[in-house]
Amino acid sequence: MDAWILLPVFLPVLAGVILLVSLALEKRKKGEEQPDREPGEAELHNLHRYVAVALAVSGVLALAAAFSGEHSVTLFELLKGIPVYFHVDDISRLFAVVISIIWLVVAFYSFVYMKHEGKEQRFYGFYLIVYGVLMALSFSGNLVTMYLFYEIMTLTSMPLVLHNGSREAIMAALKYLFYSMCGAYLGLFGIFFLYKYCDTLTFTAGGTLNLELAQGNITILLIAVFGMLIGFGAKAGMLPLHAWLPAAHPVAPSPASAVLSGVIAKAGVLAIIRVVFYVVGPDFLRGTWVQTAWMTLTLLTVFMGSMMAFREPVFKKRLAYSTVSQVSYILFGLSVLSPVGMTGALLHVVFHMVIKCALFLTAGIFIFRCGETRVEQFRGIGKQMPKTLWCYTFASLALIGIPPTSGFVSKWYLAQGALEAGVGVFGIVGPAVLLVSALLTAGYLLPITTSGFFPGGIVKHFGIEEKHEAGSAEEASVGQSGQENNSAAQADAGKVAETNRKADSLEPVPEMLIPLVILAALAVLLGLFPNPLINFAGRIAASVL
Amino acid sequence: MEFVQNFPFFSILISLFSGPLCSVIGGKAARRINLAVITVIGAMSAAVLNFTIRSGEAYVYLMGHFPAPWGNEIRVGVLEALMALFFCVVMFLSMIGGSLERTLEIETEKENLYYVMVNLLLSSLLALIYTNDLFTAYVFVEINTISACGLIMIRQNGRTIEAATRYMIMSLLGSGLLLLGICFLYDMTGHLLMSNIKEQVQLLHASGDYHIPLLVTVSLMSVGIAIKSALYPFHAWLPDAYGYSTLSSAAILSSLVSKGYIFLLVKIFYRVIGFDIVRDSKIVNVLFAFGVVGMIMGSVSAIKEGNIRRMIAYSSVAQIGYIYMGFGIGTTAGVIASLYHILSHAATKSLLFVAGSGLTDASGDSTSFFDLTGAGYRNKLAGVAFTVGSLSMVGFPMFSGFISKLLFAQAAVDSVYYKLLPALIALALSTILNAVYFMKTVIRIYTPAKREEVQRRGFRNVTVADQKAKSVALVCFIVLNMALGLCSEPVVRLLREGLEMFA
Repeated sequence: MDAWILLPVFLPVLAGVILLVSLALEKRKKGEEQPDREPGEAELHNLHRYVAVALAVSGVLALAAAFSGEHSVTLFELLKGIPVYFHVDDISRLFAVVISIIWLVVAFYSFVYMKHEGKEQRFYGFYLIVYGVLMALSFSGNLVTMYLFYEIMTLTSMPLVLHNGSREAIMAALKYLFYSMCGAYLGLFGIFFLYKYCDTLTFTAGGTLNLELAQGNITILLIAVFGMLIGFGAKAGMLPLHAWLPAAHPVAPSPASAVLSGVIAKAGVLAIIRVVFYVVGPDFLRGTWVQTAWMTLTLLTVFMGSMMAFREPVFKKRLAYSTVSQVSYILFGLSVLSPVGMTGALLHVVFHMVIKCALFLTAGIFIFRCGETRVEQFRGIGKQMPKTLWCYTFASLALIGIPPTSGFVSKWYLAQGALEAGVGVFGIVGPAVLLVSALLTAGYLLPITTSGFFPGGIVKHFGIEEKHEAGSAEEASVGQSGQENNSAAQADAGKVAETNRKADSLEPVPEMLIPLVILAALAVLLGLFPNPLINFAGRIAASVL
Repeated sequence: MEFVQNFPFFSILISLFSGPLCSVIGGKAARRINLAVITVIGAMSAAVLNFTIRSGEAYVYLMGHFPAPWGNEIRVGVLEALMALFFCVVMFLSMIGGSLERTLEIETEKENLYYVMVNLLLSSLLALIYTNDLFTAYVFVEINTISACGLIMIRQNGRTIEAATRYMIMSLLGSGLLLLGICFLYDMTGHLLMSNIKEQVQLLHASGDYHIPLLVTVSLMSVGIAIKSALYPFHAWLPDAYGYSTLSSAAILSSLVSKGYIFLLVKIFYRVIGFDIVRDSKIVNVLFAFGVVGMIMGSVSAIKEGNIRRMIAYSSVAQIGYIYMGFGIGTTAGVIASLYHILSHAATKSLLFVAGSGLTDASGDSTSFFDLTGAGYRNKLAGVAFTVGSLSMVGFPMFSGFISKLLFAQAAVDSVYYKLLPALIALALSTILNAVYFMKTVIRIYTPAKREEVQRRGFRNVTVADQKAKSVALVCFIVLNMALGLCSEPVVRLLREGLEMFA
């Protein structure tokens, strides 16, 4: 029985549901008068422990499921001939592993961050559920199962966007829902056609399209596939259904923005990989107008996203536009339909996940510590939080693609793939656009570093809102981190003295900084030692192309 | 013969006679009797369903053991029992969900009359489901029409009287056409029992005699029933009838009454004429065309509508279009998709009506679209339920609407080429249009309202404790919807087996 591979799906979902249900019960018990009571320190601590254990256990199970060979399991028949079917293959492995790591790291960061957002229990409830759904998405073995969990993911990740309940957040969440659903329906109608013209909807490397059946209906099939590309591209922020992304990602709490931008946008990529390389088959699309249109759209998105990011003054929005642009790098790598391009795309999936999470976590720290959201307000911030800004800088360099960081490796493969794929003029235009966009990336990310470290002129002192936090951070910077957690009492006692002594330091507590450091280090280290990943991605690419 | 085989006959009889009984007792007692009757009949239908599944074949029940043509026949299979059970469940939930509105909107001394109508309606629905005699079907069609009029009119204001009159006229036109069709068939075949008619029709078809009269008969009956079930160009009576009647009437009318007629049409297609003859007659192509147009036009009207009740009503026009489109595809898969959609739409539409009324309760009883701003916060359960209903209508996985869309699409891609594209395009367009107005409403109910506006209008918060009955109904509807959406395979299998037994 291979049914145990579904444990990493059910366990976090169950844990999340328990959290939500207990929250509802508690509310009922307390009555409607004081529904928004802040939980106590001890309660929060228990909550964090619960979430960490649930995530860690399911993460380990996910790794075990991914690396203990081929598994497949049929859950039940949704309709005759359409089972809910899970299968672990290389793509599943790649996504499951990276998502699990990121999810755990961001969870640790959020334990501190979410204190100032409040409503932690609800947040973690959905956070756990979305993790389970993402695992199910990674392990999905056929198109309908994937579609099912794709839609559930939309619905369960919506509360993360909604979190602060402001009008802006609600509007953004509904926009997210609407775009995602319109996109998903385009995908669904493609599935109907593929159901007719494919031998099976089960994912098979190289595609299952039955060319004899398809003969004579090529045009309509191409239209259907194009619809699917556009539809699933909505989640990945590809033109023309990209407009929700810059609205929805920034309004979420920063840890949620990080996983939305870093991970959930990749679900669109996963869906497109599954459709193109595992059901339709790349050979069917090669040289058709669909490939041309697809490449054009991705390049347009790459360029447009960078331009919009360049013009955007609000930091988190800028990062969201950057996601629009960067995810389309991945899609461009896929669209050239060459093994090298696909290797680059898969590498960029991993690298962008790491880097974008790191960047959003930095944004979260800036907001958390000084309450500023606009880029020009960050002048001189490096004086007060040098470690954070260094992490930001490394992640930025990686995103721009400066050797020896990770972004360089993936972009190298992307450009190589475009050049040798034999896609005519796109072989030249593609790398050129990538280069221009890399310049723009430098243009919109690096000024924060430069003005942060070298403000010039009058330096603004950032307000210290939570002084005891600064106190414990200071302790950490002296090097006594680890066991000396910032127990509130201890910090309060030394609050006044410590603020006077070192009012300048705004570095966050180590619980927040360490995840950021891990991600930033990964962004660099993966570029220094990329070979195992390249081999793995190359193997996947070779199996489908 | 086992005792359980009597149950279909009993259930028709119980509901038929509990109607007059309700007319002589008080409102409260009538209400209890009504709920008890629905429960008992539901339980009986479940037993019958269980029996037919086990026996694996349909059985014919002779009333009073008189063989046809003197006696009257009932024919019961899996499909019939399933429909009866499902109709009872939906009716029960609709009655619970609308109980508050009934006490407010119906004059106290007339309350028992309402239950007379409901019981008669139930008996006519059951008779339409079970009967094997064309003329009995006609009689109960008329009973159905009259009691439906009563359900609309019981809330007395100008709009409902106008709506009921309109419904009466349109419906009688439909019955008239149906009756003409039955007369023609009787004239041609000399029988009224469905199985006998079918034998004769097969002979006529083989010999080629009476080709045109047969065609005319099938068209008359199809058009008659299409009018009664509000297929697109004949839908003018629908928005007012559903939009202004009391809540439980609207829910029952939209989810059950029109479905009863549609079930009769399936019966006529399969058991009176024979589906292959219907398919050869090209009537299905006409139904297909009207269905496709209805899918689009119903949604377009719903988008333009500013009253939430009428909006939900217009959406029914679109959904009825889906069902006829399924028949129009002309394959067994298409009919199964339509039958599934009958269930799915019944579960969803009554959910939407009840949830919609929960939202209007929290908005000063105003049904205007703009007054619903923020209603999802003032009545949380209704907001969630309306969202679930909307997602189901739009075809979100996990909910029943998704499975019916999947089934329709499967049926369409396996059909002939000239129906494949229109069907899929209509499905796509209609889905997007559905998303436009349902998601627009969901966005509206979750857009926070201005605090002073809420205070000025005196909108109050509605909690679960305030409306216990409605909340129970809503939760059950949500569960029903998700059950249909997640465990569809057994249901579809039952429908498939049932349809095989049915013919």
